[in-house]
Amino acid sequence: MKGTNLGEFEELVLLTVGILYDEAYGLAITDELAAQTGRKSTISSVHKALVRLEEKGFLRSHMGGATSARGGLKKRLYTLTPSGATALQQTRSLRNDMWSKIPNIVWEGGAS
Amino acid sequence: MRHIQPPRWAIKFLRWFCREDLLEGILGDLEELYARRREKMSKRRADFLFAWNVLLFFQPFAFKKRLSLFPSIRLFMFQHYFKISFRNFRKQKAFSAIKIGGFSIGIALFLLIGLFVRDELLIDRHYEKGPQLYRLLNQTNNPQDPWTRASCFPAPMAQVVEERFPEVEETGRLISFDGWYKAGSNLFRPADQPLNQFEERFAYADPEFIQMMEIPMVYGTREEALSKPFSILISRRKANKYFPGENPVGKTVIFNDEEDKPYVIGGVMENLKQTHLSGFDFFITLKEVEFWRGEQSDWCCWNYSPYVQLKAGADHKAFEEKLAEIREDYIFNYFREEGDARVDTMEKYMYTQVQPVGDIHLKSKDVSDFLVVGDEKIVWLFSAIGIFILLLACINFINLSTAKSANRAREVGLRKVIGSHRQSIISQFMVESLFYCSISVILGLLMASAALPLFNSIAGKELAMPWSTWWFIPSLLGLTLVIGLLSGLYPSFYLSSFKPISVLRGRLAMGSKNSALRSGLVVFQFTTSIVLIVSAVIVYQQMDFILNKDIGFEKDRVIMVQGTNTLRDKIPVFKEEVLKLPEVQHAAVSSFLPISGTRRNGNSFWLDGRDKIDEGVGGQTWWVDDDYIEALGLRLLEGRSFDLNRVSDSNAVIVNKMLVDKLGLENPIGAKIFNWRDWTIVGVVDNFHFELMKEQIRPLAMASSAYGDILSVKVETGKTEAALAAIGKVWKEFKPNQPIRYTFMDESYARMYDEVQRTGTVFNLFAILAIFVACLGLFALSAFMIEQRSKEISIRKVLGASLRSIFNLLTVNFLRLVLVAFVLAIPIAWYIMNDWLNGFEYRIEISWPIFVLAGLAAFLIALGTISVEAGKAATANPASRLRSE
Repeated sequence: MKGTNLGEFEELVLLTVGILYDEAYGLAITDELAAQTGRKSTISSVHKALVRLEEKGFLRSHMGGATSARGGLKKRLYTLTPSGATALQQTRSLRNDMWSKIPNIVWEGGAS
Repeated sequence: MRHIQPPRWAIKFLRWFCREDLLEGILGDLEELYARRREKMSKRRADFLFAWNVLLFFQPFAFKKRLSLFPSIRLFMFQHYFKISFRNFRKQKAFSAIKIGGFSIGIALFLLIGLFVRDELLIDRHYEKGPQLYRLLNQTNNPQDPWTRASCFPAPMAQVVEERFPEVEETGRLISFDGWYKAGSNLFRPADQPLNQFEERFAYADPEFIQMMEIPMVYGTREEALSKPFSILISRRKANKYFPGENPVGKTVIFNDEEDKPYVIGGVMENLKQTHLSGFDFFITLKEVEFWRGEQSDWCCWNYSPYVQLKAGADHKAFEEKLAEIREDYIFNYFREEGDARVDTMEKYMYTQVQPVGDIHLKSKDVSDFLVVGDEKIVWLFSAIGIFILLLACINFINLSTAKSANRAREVGLRKVIGSHRQSIISQFMVESLFYCSISVILGLLMASAALPLFNSIAGKELAMPWSTWWFIPSLLGLTLVIGLLSGLYPSFYLSSFKPISVLRGRLAMGSKNSALRSGLVVFQFTTSIVLIVSAVIVYQQMDFILNKDIGFEKDRVIMVQGTNTLRDKIPVFKEEVLKLPEVQHAAVSSFLPISGTRRNGNSFWLDGRDKIDEGVGGQTWWVDDDYIEALGLRLLEGRSFDLNRVSDSNAVIVNKMLVDKLGLENPIGAKIFNWRDWTIVGVVDNFHFELMKEQIRPLAMASSAYGDILSVKVETGKTEAALAAIGKVWKEFKPNQPIRYTFMDESYARMYDEVQRTGTVFNLFAILAIFVACLGLFALSAFMIEQRSKEISIRKVLGASLRSIFNLLTVNFLRLVLVAFVLAIPIAWYIMNDWLNGFEYRIEISWPIFVLAGLAAFLIALGTISVEAGKAATANPASRLRSE
């Protein structure tokens, strides 16, 4: 279905939101992403992905958890929606499915 | 720990563009990140990173909805505006064509002039060591004598300057004037080719000069090109002409058939461009050259132009002051030792100027040397004309856009009623103006490209559209944007100000408050046009004056057979043979003729025995033969011509009236005068013009000699063709290895004034275009005014007004404006053209009929233009106009 496909970065962000469970806000996601994948992404690109994922209905958000380090501003905390979880699962099963279809010979060095 | 604020302006910016719902989360994240960074790095760095992060958020997803830069509705409106612009364009084809045509002519002219001016300004600006390069100028500021500047100095000057002043890094000398030994023109051939060919553009230069002026080389090196005696540097085009497809370095060449004095090619340079040296194809070395014994250390004779390269950072003004020492110790000293009386005036008025090489092209009009230089005044005048014509075109554009506003008034009214903001109507007309402007710029660019060859031939340039430069396309886009927005400004604000109710009720109430502005624009346009017409006529008249003035000699029916010097001792025999031809009346041998490019010199004359007492009179000594006066038709006032059979005539001179006057001779015939030796005057001729009319006729003495470079042949009327054939035959017998080369004296004379002719052509062109553009403007304005008054006219007609009275009513206002323009134009044109004419020693006076003529022309053209619309309005059926009332 068009519009619900997950991009690679979006998928990573979605997974990170799942990992962080109820502490998933922009900066924490950026940090976690860096820790998990070793790749540094800018805060703006993470936010951009979050906004898009929320528009697609995979995430929902609420405000909360202000700290002094944030100048007293609240965090926008994201959680997975059921359709978000389904989307992740679909991606995974699609992958698994495709993985299983790769003939073994490929993994054995491809000697022909 | 106290919370440290990130840069406030960045937060403000974020708050400005960021969506409310996202703002808190984003700003919070950024602040948290900032606090974390502050512990690790300096505030500056953290601030910078914070601002950078904010900037990264400047993306569509984070924008406030109403701010969105390219939301679809806007985009849609822009498409709509384009469509409307295009429809309007199609609906009024003629009107749009006038609008765009006038505008693109203005832009084309502006582009051409821009290219020209840029080219002029860039000459000699490309040297790596440009700021260190200077040439010396000798300036005499004697109130009795007009201010003069010359680039010539005695031979040892450069060396003395270099040895004396530590700030001088290098010096090099140039001899560029025609007729100084081999400088100027020569007959030239490679040693292994038999055919002598005529070549111009020779100059002498020091080996160092080539390095200082960074002459680009094709073969050989700058250091070695002229380092050996008798070496010569030639341009690429001449190398291709004589040695096609090979490296000519090391080849031997022969000048004027002098096989005993061969020269060797030391290098080939690129064809020189964008420098004051562009005129030269050949540089002959000055290495170990001595034109006569002891010449190189002699302070007598001023023939060399010294160029100086100062050390980096040296102050040329301070250096200029120091040159006083040289004047005192060498120049004045020399004249004192010689007992020359001129030294007192010299001490008082002589000054040595240090001129940056970059200034040579545009700031040396008054320097007497043989370099071809530009004219700063012309450059500024052209720039002014270019900007004026562009302004005229813009004004027209504005006028034409507002003129048809009545047609658009309903549209604007309706848009407003439907809910358009004034802002969006403004942007609609801005888009429209940009649309027209883009088309005009493209058209203008095409016109300019098409007209470039013509323009090049008029301006004597080799300009090309600089497509490949990085700035050309961006600056064109910039030009389009600026002109489009500027000329759209007034129409869009004006049109968007219509009140919907009054417009839709059919009452287009446009006050007279704008008419002052519009009238001002018409006056401005016509003033410019009249000034240009007057200028064009005056340039034409001056040219006519120069070509037809009594110049004191007869230039018609004279064939100048060039290059007779290679005949050597056979010159008199050749002349005898030519004289035997039935078509020939007279023939005279001389290198000196009253035509530019023939030989010249500088001498001083004294009354007998007063050479150590008086200052002397500056003038020229020419060597001519016994037929010279008859062949050129000089008027002998007293005495006789030469007689080569008289032995005593080797001491005889014939002088011009100016020399007699300057020396104050009462009875010139038989009087003795001194110039290096004693001379006896045997004849006096009337003054004749032998220099450009920009200069006064100078004193002249003619001594007799049977030899020279040119045989001037006066032929019978109508027998020119036959004479040419006959002379060619004789020449072939004498000189089979050198094709005959001849010019007609009247043509050579006219060529001396090519520049004036060119100025005239350019003014004509500008005047025609300016008038054309101004007419478009007037047409637009009359159309506008008449549309305004169409109901009034209809009512007048219904009430019985005659066709003529309506016509008068409509035209008289405009003609009044033209009259005002005329009054304004007179002093401006008079001032500019008087200034131009002051450059000529012999000039016409500006007379009133010119102004009357120009005024009348402008008046008639204006009347014609207005009549088109006025006539239409006056003959229109009133019923069709009043029907809707």
